[in-house]
Amino acid sequence: MRFLSRVVVPALIYAFLIAMLIFALFPVFFVVQAAFRPGQSLYSLTLSLWPDHPTWDNFVYIWTKIPFPLWLRNSLGVSVGTMVAGLIGSATGAYALSRFRFAGKQMTLILLLAIQAFPSVLALIPIYLILKTIGLVGSPFGLVLAYMSIALVFCTWNLKGYFDTIPRELDEAALIDGCSVSQAFWRIVLPLSVPALAVTALLMFLTAWNEWVMASVLLLDENTYTVPVGLWGLQNDYRVPWGYFAAASLIVSLPVMALFLGLQRYFRSGLTVGGVKG
Amino acid sequence: MYRVRALTTVTYLAPMIIGVGLISLYPILYNIFISVTNQNLYHFRHYSFIGLTNYQSLLKTLDADFFIVLARTFAFVAICIPLFLALGMLNALALNHPAIRFKAFWRVALIVPWAVPSYITALVWKFFFNGEFGTFNQLYRVVAGPQAGLPWLSDPNWAFGSIVLANLWMSYPFFMVVILGALQSIPTELYEAAAVDGASAWRRFWAITIPLLRPALLPATVLSAILTFNTLNTAYLITTGGPFVSAAKPGATEFVMVYAFREAFQLFNFGYIAAFAVVIFMMLFGVTLGSLRFSGLVREEAR
Repeated sequence: MRFLSRVVVPALIYAFLIAMLIFALFPVFFVVQAAFRPGQSLYSLTLSLWPDHPTWDNFVYIWTKIPFPLWLRNSLGVSVGTMVAGLIGSATGAYALSRFRFAGKQMTLILLLAIQAFPSVLALIPIYLILKTIGLVGSPFGLVLAYMSIALVFCTWNLKGYFDTIPRELDEAALIDGCSVSQAFWRIVLPLSVPALAVTALLMFLTAWNEWVMASVLLLDENTYTVPVGLWGLQNDYRVPWGYFAAASLIVSLPVMALFLGLQRYFRSGLTVGGVKG
Repeated sequence: MYRVRALTTVTYLAPMIIGVGLISLYPILYNIFISVTNQNLYHFRHYSFIGLTNYQSLLKTLDADFFIVLARTFAFVAICIPLFLALGMLNALALNHPAIRFKAFWRVALIVPWAVPSYITALVWKFFFNGEFGTFNQLYRVVAGPQAGLPWLSDPNWAFGSIVLANLWMSYPFFMVVILGALQSIPTELYEAAAVDGASAWRRFWAITIPLLRPALLPATVLSAILTFNTLNTAYLITTGGPFVSAAKPGATEFVMVYAFREAFQLFNFGYIAAFAVVIFMMLFGVTLGSLRFSGLVREEAR
C-alpha cells in the first residue's frame, strides 16, 4: 500500500505529464523545425523530425523578399490604435458605471451584455456593409473601427469589474473632504488601477494582433495587410514553401506568447478570459 | 455609490456610450434592418423590403440549412466540452498532486497551446492532417506500410474528429488553469478529516473535490461552450467547412459561424445571413443571461 502511493502513483502521474508535454509542445516544436528547413524538404512522404541541413534562409527570405516588415508595422499600428482608443473611450464610462447612481444604469449594463453576446463574426456582416457605404473597406482605419466595436465593450466590463474591487470608502472619503468627482477619479481611482489598465491594454493588444477573420474581410490590398492576413495568404499560395510561414509565425508569435504566459497569472474573471480568444 | 449631478454622469458616460452606440450597437440594429431586405450580390445597392421572407426560408423545413448547421454545432459542443473538461481535470489533478516536483515548469509548459494565436494553431494542424505530407500520416506509414494513409480531412466523420482534436489541443489549458485555481483553494483539512473517517481516494474525489469545484466550473463551462459554439478559425482555416458531400448541403465541419462566414463573404447572401444572425444572437443572449442569473452575477451588478 505504501509502495503504491509512494512509487506507483507518482510514476503514473509523471508518465501522464510527459505524454501531455509531448502533446502540448509538439506542434510548437514542429513550427520551429519547419522554420529552419531548407526549400521544399518539408514536403516529404517520410517522417523526419529535424532538418538535415538547418538554415536561416526562410528568415532572410521573409524579411527581404515579401512585405513582411510592412505587415508587422501595419499590425503594430492597428493593435496600438485599438488598444489606446479602447482604453481612452471606456475608462470614464466604466468609472461612472461602477460608482455613480443614475437612472438607466441597469439598462446600460444589460445592453452592454447583449452587445457582447453578439458574436463578432456575425457583427462583421453589418460592419462590412456600413464601412463599404462610407468607403472605408480596405483601409486600416476601418479595421480599427471594427476592432473598437469589440474593444470598447470589453474594456468597459473589464475596468468596471476592477473599479468595483477598489474600496468605495476611499473616493467617498475624498469627496467628503471636498475633493471633486474628477479629482477622485484622476487622483485616487486611476492611480490605483494601473495594473488593471495595463492588463486590459495588453489583452486588447493581443486580441487585435492575433485577429484574422475581420482583417481578412476588411483589408484588400497586400500593402495594408496585417500579419495574420499576410501569413495566411502565403500559406495558401502553393508556390511558397511552408517554411516561410513557419519562420514568420515564430517572429510574430514568440513575443506575444511570452507576453501571454507572463500575463496568465492575472486571468481571473471569465470576461477577461473571453476577450483573449474569439 | 453616490449621486452626482446629471451633467457629470453624462460627461463621464459620453465617450463610451457614443462609441458603443455608433460602432457596436448601430451595426447590430442595421443587421436587423438588413434581415428584412433581399440584399445580396445581385441586389447590392438596389435592394427592397421582403418582410419576414428570410426568416421563413431559414426555418421553413426541418432539413433547412439552419437546422443542419445548428444540430452539427450542438453535437460539436457536446463532444468537445466533456473532452476539454476531462483533459483539463486530469492535468489539474496531476499538477496538484503533492508528489509532483517542478510545478511551475509543468504549468507553463502545459499552458503553451493557449498562448499560440489561433490562426497559427489552425495552420499547423492543417499541415499535420495533410493526406500526403502530413505528420500524422507520415507516422502512420511507419506502422502500416508505405501505401497507407488515414482520411484525416477527406472523410466527413474523420474531418469532424480532426477539428475536435485541434480544438482540444488549444482549449484544455483554459480548464486546467480554472480547475487548478479552484483545487488550490480547497482546504486540505477536508481531505484529512475524510481520510480519518475512512473515505477512499475515489470517494474523497466525488464527495469533496467535485462539489467544491462546481462554482468555478459552471461559469467556465458556459463560457467555453459559447466560445466553442462560435468556433470559426480552426474549422474554417483547416477544412473551410468541408468535406462537402453535396453542393447543396452544408459541409461536415460547417458550424454556425463557418456557415455565416461563407454565406456572407463567399456567396454574399447578406439579407438571409442577417436573419440567421438575429436568430443565433437571441439564442446566445438567452444563454448568457440565464447563466449570469444562475451564477448570481446580475444580482451583484444591481447593487
